[in-house]
Amino acid sequence: MSKNTAALKREENIIHLTYEDIAMLKKEIIYRNPLTSLGYENEDILADGGFGAVMAHAGVGKTALLVQMGLNTMLRDKKVLHVSLHDAVSKVDVWYHELFQNIAHNFNDAAVKEYWENIQPRRFIMIFKEENFSVPKLEERLTELMEQNIFKPHTMIIDGFKFDEIGRKPLAHLKELAGKRAIRIWFTVHAHRHEERAPNELPVWFLHVADLFEVIVELAAENDGVFIKAIKGETPASFQTSLHLDPSTMLVKGSK
Amino acid sequence: MKPDDKKVRNIGISAHIDSGKTTLTERILYYTKRIHAMHDVKGKDGVGATMDSMELEKERGITIASAATYCEWKGYEINIIDTPGHVDFTIEVERSLRVLDGAVLVLCAVGGVQSQSITVDQQMKRYKVPCIAFVNKCDRNGANPFRVINQLKTKLGHNAVAMQIPIGLETQTEGVVDLATMKALYFDGEMGEVIRVEEIPQSLLEEAKAKREELIEAASLFSDELTEAVLEERGITAQLLYSALRKGTLKREITPVFMGSAYKNKGVQPLLDGVTYLLPCPSEVQNVALDMEKNEEPVVLANDSEKPVVALAFKLEDGKYGQLTYIRVYQGTVAKGSTIVNVRNGKKVKVGRVVRMHADQMEDVEQLPAGYIGALFGIECSSGDTFVSPGVHLTMTSMFVPKPVISLAIVPKDNKSQMAMAKALNRFSKEDPTFKTYVDPETSETIIEGMGELHLDIYVERMKREYNAEVTTGNPRVAYRETITQRADFNYTHKKQTGGAGQFGRIAGYIEPVSDDEFIFVNEIFGGAIPTQYIPACEKGFRQSMAKGPKLEFPITGVKVVINDGASHPVDSSDMAFQAAARGAFREAYLRAKPVIHEPIMKVVVETPPEFQGAVMGLLNQRRGMIIGSQDEGVMCVIEAQVPLAEMFGFSTVLRSATQGKAQFTMEFALYRQVPQSIAEKIALEVAQNKKSAA
Repeated sequence: MSKNTAALKREENIIHLTYEDIAMLKKEIIYRNPLTSLGYENEDILADGGFGAVMAHAGVGKTALLVQMGLNTMLRDKKVLHVSLHDAVSKVDVWYHELFQNIAHNFNDAAVKEYWENIQPRRFIMIFKEENFSVPKLEERLTELMEQNIFKPHTMIIDGFKFDEIGRKPLAHLKELAGKRAIRIWFTVHAHRHEERAPNELPVWFLHVADLFEVIVELAAENDGVFIKAIKGETPASFQTSLHLDPSTMLVKGSK
Repeated sequence: MKPDDKKVRNIGISAHIDSGKTTLTERILYYTKRIHAMHDVKGKDGVGATMDSMELEKERGITIASAATYCEWKGYEINIIDTPGHVDFTIEVERSLRVLDGAVLVLCAVGGVQSQSITVDQQMKRYKVPCIAFVNKCDRNGANPFRVINQLKTKLGHNAVAMQIPIGLETQTEGVVDLATMKALYFDGEMGEVIRVEEIPQSLLEEAKAKREELIEAASLFSDELTEAVLEERGITAQLLYSALRKGTLKREITPVFMGSAYKNKGVQPLLDGVTYLLPCPSEVQNVALDMEKNEEPVVLANDSEKPVVALAFKLEDGKYGQLTYIRVYQGTVAKGSTIVNVRNGKKVKVGRVVRMHADQMEDVEQLPAGYIGALFGIECSSGDTFVSPGVHLTMTSMFVPKPVISLAIVPKDNKSQMAMAKALNRFSKEDPTFKTYVDPETSETIIEGMGELHLDIYVERMKREYNAEVTTGNPRVAYRETITQRADFNYTHKKQTGGAGQFGRIAGYIEPVSDDEFIFVNEIFGGAIPTQYIPACEKGFRQSMAKGPKLEFPITGVKVVINDGASHPVDSSDMAFQAAARGAFREAYLRAKPVIHEPIMKVVVETPPEFQGAVMGLLNQRRGMIIGSQDEGVMCVIEAQVPLAEMFGFSTVLRSATQGKAQFTMEFALYRQVPQSIAEKIALEVAQNKKSAA
């Protein structure tokens, strides 16, 4: 993987989009996906109707990790609905684009550009203002998209959901909806410093909904980088490990 | 003319369609006593707003060509350029921003920061134009100026601060509280011309105090004096506050926000005060020209009326008395009777009449000193030309001009119309660099090209109205392009022996795709297989081939040609022979390089009430649109998509009927993308049919 032909081609400035390039790019992203590296064997990680959460303090890279997972899904020819409650469409688009560029920087520009154009239709960005967001509203929009055959997501990403303000009921409803529509949903969870934690390492304020989640991982920034570890739903392979991530791509660098 | 440039402001008024720019300008002109009656944009009195001087603008209620005007406010001279709001005319906005020192960004208190505001804001950033904002239409249902301020922060990244708070909103709009002076301002009199200053109503006092705190906190970052006053808990004067805000505004680090309702005559005069207090005078803005003699090295211009002239012609208009050229003087003085040189063609021009414009009326002046905007009569030039004193070789930075994406064939009805049409086209293409015209050599039709359907529509209408040129139009044609997708080798020999001197040239090498360049030519010939003197002819031959694809005849882009071998003949080889060989070589390799068609893709932004969101998405989807995302804004929902231009014809009608006329959209060129196979086949069929019918 380290010295691949695509990288050599870039040096020669030859611009071709070959099957080899795409396959290699896909492989690289899927191979270095931190969640599969943690030991989750199913490449979707979550089953239909499953909930997953990425927990971290502000600025550590929750959104980046979920965008990286979104890209991973798009590369596997599946569709992602990215719902953000704080960023603009253009900003979310830039997240995807830049992360993709960073991951694909070894590949030739024309190939990357063309490939990006091919996978871009597999993503739909939906922005709500935090104060306007509600689960019924999301359901309405999702139904419109799916019933008109405009977009049928395989995975949904919800960035900015306020777990401490929105009660359990809407979330339970969302889980039901996800099951009905055969979607899995990933959330960002904003953890605070010096907050009270339960014995299972989860923040106390999150406990009322924790049972709805099949997988919870935590990102932490330490001196020399960002690490990821599984808090809930860990598999034997991941049990005692935490992985070192490259902050520019949120892909695995190596294990700690 | 007063030479004190500290009291001069060159400002633009930019915003989204229908935010009320023209109405605001109309009010400004009234309060500055430039006009003595106010008219509405789509007024019942049939007069129309003063700045919308073109008949067509009055009819459609939009501003097309930015008219320039000047007015005086409390001893300050303000030059205003009213800019068009529709994205099809953004070249006008870009040009205006190039010559302005500051801008007022007008936003709708209901619609907030809309798609066009984002485009305009990006343009302001590009030209580093400091700005203040005016939240207009506070009298409308659903008005919320603080939501708009928040959007300025989140959507445009401005450090926006309220300078005022409203006294009543929607139908209750009465006036504003000025947070700098902590006084309530009411606008009395029939036209809001009498400002009544009173104490702040008790019900608003707490809010006013809190907002003033926010204002002071934001402003204190730019002034130590203000920070000290805050720390020492001294009283803060309006002057101190304004001077701190001014520093921040000039650096584009803060955006003071004013509010009101131009239509209801509320809040316009304080905005004018804001323009004079907060926006820069010409000498506070650094303008850079390029030195033609020193390889276009940037030169900072001095805003000095005594130095040699550097002026930019930023707009042309064909008036009753001939061509009117709007200029901005950056350095020196353009005086009646003086001689200036057009840098582009080196032609000397004697300045005749110098005027200052007030929409379509004018007043004669003797001279235009540095920092001023005015117009010259009888000067033959194109838009964007630089004028200088003899001996100076500076040019103002060229502006980015996008390539046209749509074309239309036009046929004059009779001979008279043909003459008029030629005159009109000549004028339009000089006025607007994004509007192009040519005669198709095969069909002999006159083709006009531009940036969108509406762009061309407006010019066709103007031909009829202003030049009496009756023309019929063909179907709009999309500017497709061809490109190759893989490398292909060539080895072609051009040989002709048909009496007289023969022709011989052999070229070998390969072509391959490149992503960002239109054409690259690389000579890798060693040992003189093709003599050096014929290499330029080879390049020329390849370049000629790029103009038209061998199969579909669209222009070709994104090709790198490498030549690495060849042969020549001591007698029969010539430039002509190698040009022909290059064309043959290109033809030979092109079809093997798997050519594809690329089509222009437009960024389409639709703003619709949320209840029509599904319907709008459906419409975009039917048009091969790729929806990037949707943004729920409460009262409105914004859908952003990329749609092929070919599918966008007639979209406005369809959108109107699907949304009860409540949605609007803007469209601008985004990128070229490969056409799907099924569509490519259709295009090929159409081209073949067109060829047949032309033959």
